[in-house]
Amino acid sequence: MLEKIARPEEVRRWPGGMPVRHRYTPGVGGDAFFTALRERGILLGSHCAHCGYRYVPARLFCERCFSELSADTEVGPAGELVSFTIVFVGIEGEPLDRPDVLGAVRLDGADAVLIHRVLEPGEEPLQIGERLEVVVKTGSERTGSILDIEGFRRTD
Amino acid sequence: MARRVAVVGAGMTKFVRRAQETGKELAWEASREALASCELALDRVDAVCLTSAPDAFDGVHMKGEYLSDGAGAFGRPFMRTYVGGGSGVFTAIQAYYTVASGMADVVLAVAEEKMSSTQPHPQGAFLTIFDNVLERPLGPNLLWIFALEMNRYMTVHGLDKRDIASVAVKNKRNAADHPAALLGQADITVEDVLASETLAWPVQRLDVSPISDGAVALVVASEEAAKEISNDPIWIQGVGWNLDTAYWTNRDLVFPEYVANAARMAYDMAGVTEPRKQIHVAEPYDPFDYKELHHLEGLLLFDKGKAPEAARDGVLDRKGDLPSCPSGGLLGVGNPIAAAGLMKIAELFWQLRGEAGARQVPGTPERGVAQAWGDLMQVGTVVVMGRDGGPPTTATEVETPPLATPATSLSDAEFRSATGAVDDAIGAEYEWDAGVAVGRFLDGLREGRIMGRECRNCGRVLVPPRMFCERCFRGTDAWVQVEHTGVVQTFSICHVSWDMQHLDEPQLPAVIAIDGSDGGFLHMLGEVTPDDASIGMAVEAVWKPVGKRTGSILDIAYFKPKAEA
Repeated sequence: MLEKIARPEEVRRWPGGMPVRHRYTPGVGGDAFFTALRERGILLGSHCAHCGYRYVPARLFCERCFSELSADTEVGPAGELVSFTIVFVGIEGEPLDRPDVLGAVRLDGADAVLIHRVLEPGEEPLQIGERLEVVVKTGSERTGSILDIEGFRRTD
Repeated sequence: MARRVAVVGAGMTKFVRRAQETGKELAWEASREALASCELALDRVDAVCLTSAPDAFDGVHMKGEYLSDGAGAFGRPFMRTYVGGGSGVFTAIQAYYTVASGMADVVLAVAEEKMSSTQPHPQGAFLTIFDNVLERPLGPNLLWIFALEMNRYMTVHGLDKRDIASVAVKNKRNAADHPAALLGQADITVEDVLASETLAWPVQRLDVSPISDGAVALVVASEEAAKEISNDPIWIQGVGWNLDTAYWTNRDLVFPEYVANAARMAYDMAGVTEPRKQIHVAEPYDPFDYKELHHLEGLLLFDKGKAPEAARDGVLDRKGDLPSCPSGGLLGVGNPIAAAGLMKIAELFWQLRGEAGARQVPGTPERGVAQAWGDLMQVGTVVVMGRDGGPPTTATEVETPPLATPATSLSDAEFRSATGAVDDAIGAEYEWDAGVAVGRFLDGLREGRIMGRECRNCGRVLVPPRMFCERCFRGTDAWVQVEHTGVVQTFSICHVSWDMQHLDEPQLPAVIAIDGSDGGFLHMLGEVTPDDASIGMAVEAVWKPVGKRTGSILDIAYFKPKAEA
């Protein structure tokens, strides 16, 4: 029953897609986080008094116990490198001019980790467990975006 | 032996046009309220059943996993089910069998939808429910399906549009008593509906439910757990679901047999032998006003074609003989797709407990039915719930539920300027294969022939052709050339594009039954004015010139009225 495809160029194929775009709004927790980042250059998290877990970015609720949370905890700016990777290829597999270094950092005062770029790590290899700190753009450059954070830099 | 299962708690957010809350924040608000309504902590929940309609609405791939923390699924067995518009009622069915099977004692069932993320219009996410090869080249619009079905329903039964419009009036008036409603309106009239903009005749603006954001949650428990948690559990007495053919042009557009099959399954389980007498309150699915009537007939609560006069005569009013959509339904409360279906189950829960406040139907309803519909417009999902002889809540004064209705509505300006908002596109581009049968069909069109596949077991000639017969579940036997003439089964006069832009010239999409076959397909009418088009009209294909044919459904330019022999 299956027909052998002898001339693939004649296979009936129809190009198409889904003509949709999206506008992602950050919600109640995200609004508090991004407003504080833009206005004050600080990172706000949420502390669950019931579970003890400290989330960052701030959240409206605790997923562990369903308690309502607020953006009540300033975290960082320094923290501990939990893991990192060095990315040599882009999304299409193309080599990058400069490797991207991404770090997962547990900021002081948080249990959750934050992912962002590691800025100019230099020659010395990164070590899991070492101290990094958040670099935030200057006030006039901040728009209320995760890119208001430039990245993490080594504290020395 | 399945265990008895009850609903013991319900909660929902307001249904709003644009929620400030993220999808998971909406899910949490509804879930927290459902748990609070029966004074239960999250740690009593054994498993979580979640539903949400297409990922493309939120623009989040694997939306179930994304929403899971807001639904209380952290560290628990979790599964998202999805049957399109039928999802909301289906997630109650999923919760039912998760508990009935003994897999869990207490389940949180959650339904969430956030349609406001989709730009420029959520209809863009619906376009791929049309066949990408045979239908999308025609430039379809979701409204076509409803308009085509509604026209045939009205024409075959000789229905008056006023009677159908009275459903929109009833539901928007009922919703005026719903604290979570988006479009409640106590003073709306049939004239308002009939005067609203015609989108795709016979569908007008106020025949349609609104795009919405929202979430609903239920707490579902085993008999033992239910009796410990609640003095007034509402029992899930029967569940049913059923699918019709995926070829909507090969389906009976007048009577939803798949809803009837789902209803029979649920009624059999519930021991309901005379639904019209034993069902006291109904929440049929009402994304369009005619759909409520269509579904009431599918639920075997009215004879075929008789639900519209019941609407006209007040039988379906909150104080009527068979209250239908006392909540206000999708037309009044709103239509965040998956959440809207579960809202219907929540309404039955409140109605059967006697706790619906200003929305309470009179008397002491013993049993109700809720239903939703969707997938490729061919799934029916049905749940029968009842008090099983237990007394309704004895409270004499009750507030109208839901009692706490969070969800913050954003204005368009607030939505556009929201701090931290990101605009993006998934950018999914595809190349769809026509496949074996449709590939040959398209080759035939290039040669000026319409080809079908014959099944010698059931004797049908399938158009569009397929290499297997879905009824006999065997390979089809031979190619046959069918006529290039046919009969208009239904048509619409469409004034808007899929992104709701006004068209200068209306389009005339039609379902054509092809002569010499047992099927047909969607195409356009031409060389006929909208006033002269009719159901039952004989038509013939108008082919593109030979040199301009490419092996496409567009090799037929359109169908025109058949020349006199």
